Amino acid sequence: MKLWGIADQVVRLAILLAIVGGVTVALRARFVPPSFGETGHYRAEAVTIAAELPVRYAGSEICAECHDDQEELRRRSYHRGLSCEVCHGAAAAHAEDFEAQQPLVPRARGEACLACHEYLPSRPTGFPQIIERLHNPLEPCVGCHDPHDPTPPEVPSSCAACHAQIERTKAVSHHLALTCETCHEAAPEHRIEPRSHLPNKPTAREACGRCHAEGADSGAEIPRVDLDTHGPRYLCWQCHYPHHPEA
Amino acid sequence: MAGEHLERLETLHDQISGFIYPNEIELHWGLLVVLYPYITGLVAGAFILASLEKVFKVKEVEPTYRLSLLTALAFLLVAPLPLLAHLGHPERSFEIFLTPHFKSAMAMFGFVYAWYLMLVLLLEIWFEYRADLVRWSQRERGPRKLLHWLITLGSRDLSPEAVAFDQKAVHAITLIGIPSAFLLHGYVGFIFGSVKANPWWSSVLMPIVFLFSAIVSGISLVLIIYYVATLVRRETPDMACLDKLASFLLYALIVDLSLELLDFIHRLYESEESIGILSELIVSKLFISLTIVQIIIGTVGPLLLLTFSRFSQLPPELKRVAYFIAALLVQVGIFSTRWNVVIGGQLFSKSLRGLTVYKPELAGIEGLFTSIGLMILPFVILYVLVKVLPPWPQAAAPTAPPPD
Ligand code: HEC
Ligand code: HEC
Ligand code: HEC
Ligand code: HEC
Ligand code: HEC
Ligand code: HEC
Ligand code: HEC
Ligand code: HEC
Repeated sequence: MKLWGIADQVVRLAILLAIVGGVTVALRARFVPPSFGETGHYRAEAVTIAAELPVRYAGSEICAECHDDQEELRRRSYHRGLSCEVCHGAAAAHAEDFEAQQPLVPRARGEACLACHEYLPSRPTGFPQIIERLHNPLEPCVGCHDPHDPTPPEVPSSCAACHAQIERTKAVSHHLALTCETCHEAAPEHRIEPRSHLPNKPTAREACGRCHAEGADSGAEIPRVDLDTHGPRYLCWQCHYPHHPEA
Repeated sequence: MAGEHLERLETLHDQISGFIYPNEIELHWGLLVVLYPYITGLVAGAFILASLEKVFKVKEVEPTYRLSLLTALAFLLVAPLPLLAHLGHPERSFEIFLTPHFKSAMAMFGFVYAWYLMLVLLLEIWFEYRADLVRWSQRERGPRKLLHWLITLGSRDLSPEAVAFDQKAVHAITLIGIPSAFLLHGYVGFIFGSVKANPWWSSVLMPIVFLFSAIVSGISLVLIIYYVATLVRRETPDMACLDKLASFLLYALIVDLSLELLDFIHRLYESEESIGILSELIVSKLFISLTIVQIIIGTVGPLLLLTFSRFSQLPPELKRVAYFIAALLVQVGIFSTRWNVVIGGQLFSKSLRGLTVYKPELAGIEGLFTSIGLMILPFVILYVLVKVLPPWPQAAAPTAPPPD
């Protein structure tokens, strides 16, 4: 077989390749759904199918039409960022016809609250956290905190309530004996409205030098450095984490 | 099922150190994903060795030319299987061909693979063997005749021009094949090197390091197979060939080691925020597989052994054994290289503050037994290929066509 002077081998291989290519084209025609690629690298029909699924969540605005008390409470307080259905479960059917469905009411201790408030080192700094075993055990959370306005009955006493990770880090460090107030001046309002009354943070090397400078008037067991030559031009906490300093 | 899983998590939990995110306790890429770069590396390496002979006309390694091609093919056929087993839905794999996604490196695997398998390796083997296939099928009868005839696709022209054309085609394919083999394994390195969220993987050097370790592993594999095959066939191995292979292995090993050192020093010098956790990783969870197995047993050991035996006056029998042992050590080393990349890259938390552990399962689709099976399979395929397409010089049919 020799076509137009092309070698026999090539002609035969080309036929084989054409068969493979043809089969692929045929498979494509058979298996690729018609709406594939219309709107992206997926089947466009999938969107319509997803849109036809029953709606389960009503969103938080509609609830206010009938439950303005709770809505009013929530809007003014710490949980203002939460949607009702985070705690009460999907309630679209209830919002449509309140007799058709009773939403969940998570009254039991730990049912809803701990998912967000149990201590976890990865939670952002300042997020209110508790250790469930130690925080007023045996009583349901809603006994003391109104879930729609969870403001604690009294101002939290310790910084650890919200800065649990820093407190725990400090507790195993050389600075364990120092209170937070040694280095931060926190107004009492910080515990009530933390973000609008931020405490101050040390700004100069002398804050550490107060205890660690050569001639400082502090305990004899405290290691000393010469402020002029020890890591000059940098702030101490660019090298030492203040809540867990290591040499 | 769920209970079992929880139990497993609990045992892992005890060995976690520091802080890790919940979805990092269990590794998602296990033993099978270690096998995948290991096997593709062998393919690329064996092929590049074969190409050396063709392109640079290295006469000494000619006895391994066909063997290298068949080895590359046997391992290439197995290369996608670990992935298919890992993904769990092998029947869906053909969809990446039907709806190609050009912006996803992983989705392009099918094309890189198909290109290399069909347009490089199979073609080269076909042209290389075609004349022999015709002669064999002329002399044989029964199913072998039919099989060999089928493989020729009926192209039975044995005229000098046709045979010369075959040789030219082989040469041309080899020229395309070298960059393709680089592409194949460079691609595997790229998959890892381009994960920017993972400081252990993310490195532009990754494809290059992968490539050179591939060459190392491919040469050592062919050396092992060639040596064992001659033993089995009760022949004395061609010493010039083995010496040359050992030299190549030595040089490739030196380049590979220097590249890895470069990568290492670069990371140390850059000292990015991840350096703390990576150092911890190296001295704790990866200490055995990296320092001991990969560097000492798998690289420095064979380097010394090869240098010593290659340039000393050992009797050939001893020399061969020394090469063989060095090649085996290299395989162990390369396997642990893949292990350290794939598993190592998942042992530390993205928070850079903690480490987890990896315990391969025994049974199960992603377990140890599957992996062992997948490592035996290429040898079985190679056995069949060698039976169908004997690579030995004696098997090549006499050039003169038999009288009709
Ligand atoms: C059309 C008015 C209406 C809307 C809209 C509505 N509710 Fe109600 N809801 C009611 C009424 C009336 C009751 C009291 C029914 C009862 O006691 O059986 C009730 C009861 C409840 C209860 C208490 C159930 C119990 O067991 O005590 C919860 C919780 C609740 N609604 C949550 C929601 C949430 C969340 C939404 C928004 C998704 C919502 N409701 C929207 C009318 C409404
Ligand atoms: C942080 C979780 C949480 C959120 C957010 C929340 N609720 Fe509640 N809600 C509860 C709990 C817990 C109770 C039960 C309180 C109790 O028994 O004292 C409750 C009780 C209720 C009740 C029943 C009132 C009663 O005293 O029996 C209604 C109605 C209600 N919630 C509506 C809402 C609406 C509307 C919203 C959104 C504006 C909302 N809730 C947001 C946790 C929540
Ligand atoms: C979906 C997550 C979520 C759930 C569930 C939740 N909370 Fe909260 N809670 C928050 C957020 C967000 C804040 C606001 C934190 C801030 O201001 O930084 C908060 C604040 C608080 C505060 C702190 C007020 C302060 O002094 O800073 C208390 C107390 C509280 N919640 C109690 C509860 C109780 C009790 C429950 C269970 C009924 C509950 N939370 C359920 C997210 C949640
Ligand atoms: C006996 C009453 C009581 C109970 C029950 C109770 N708390 Fe508190 N909670 C308080 C008081 C008082 C404070 C503030 C003082 C402190 O920090 O201890 C507080 C503080 C908190 C804080 C810290 C944030 C802040 O502003 O200090 C969170 C979060 C919190 N509670 C959540 C819960 C959760 C979740 C439960 C249920 C598991 C619960 N509480 C049960 C009384 C209670
Ligand atoms: C009711 C919870 C709460 C309590 C109690 C609390 N803090 Fe805070 N704190 C926060 C929040 C929220 C932030 C803001 C975090 C942010 O913006 O990332 C914050 C921020 C800070 C900052 C950082 C300010 C900055 O400029 O970055 C310091 C320092 C601090 N708190 C110290 C303290 C000290 C000391 C105490 C105890 C006297 C304390 N806090 C008690 C919630 C609390
Ligand atoms: C030895 C002095 C010292 C002590 C004690 C100390 N801090 Fe700090 N803290 C610092 C310094 C210095 C910074 C500023 C670090 C920076 O800017 O990088 C800081 C920063 C912070 C911040 C903001 C940055 C961050 O890491 O989130 C918070 C919040 C904070 N401290 C809370 C606390 C709390 C709560 C305590 C008590 C448990 C405490 N600190 C004890 C010195 C201290
Ligand atoms: C109120 C006094 C005080 C202040 C202010 C203070 N420290 Fe310390 N520091 C101590 C004490 C006490 C120790 C523990 C000495 C010991 O180990 O017995 C210590 C230990 C240290 C150590 C040695 C840890 C080791 O591994 O031996 C370092 C580093 C250090 N502090 C850094 C700092 C820095 C940085 C600051 C400023 C952010 C700071 N300190 C502010 C009291 C202080
Ligand atoms: C450039 C980085 C850097 C800076 C900035 C820095 N340090 Fe250090 N610091 C170190 C290192 C590294 C060590 C441990 C080696 C040494 O002793 O010099 C250390 C050690 C220490 C020690 C322990 C000394 C001992 O004898 O155990 C103390 C206390 C200390 N630093 C306090 C400070 C204070 C206070 C500041 C700010 C005035 C500061 N450092 C700034 C890097 C730094």
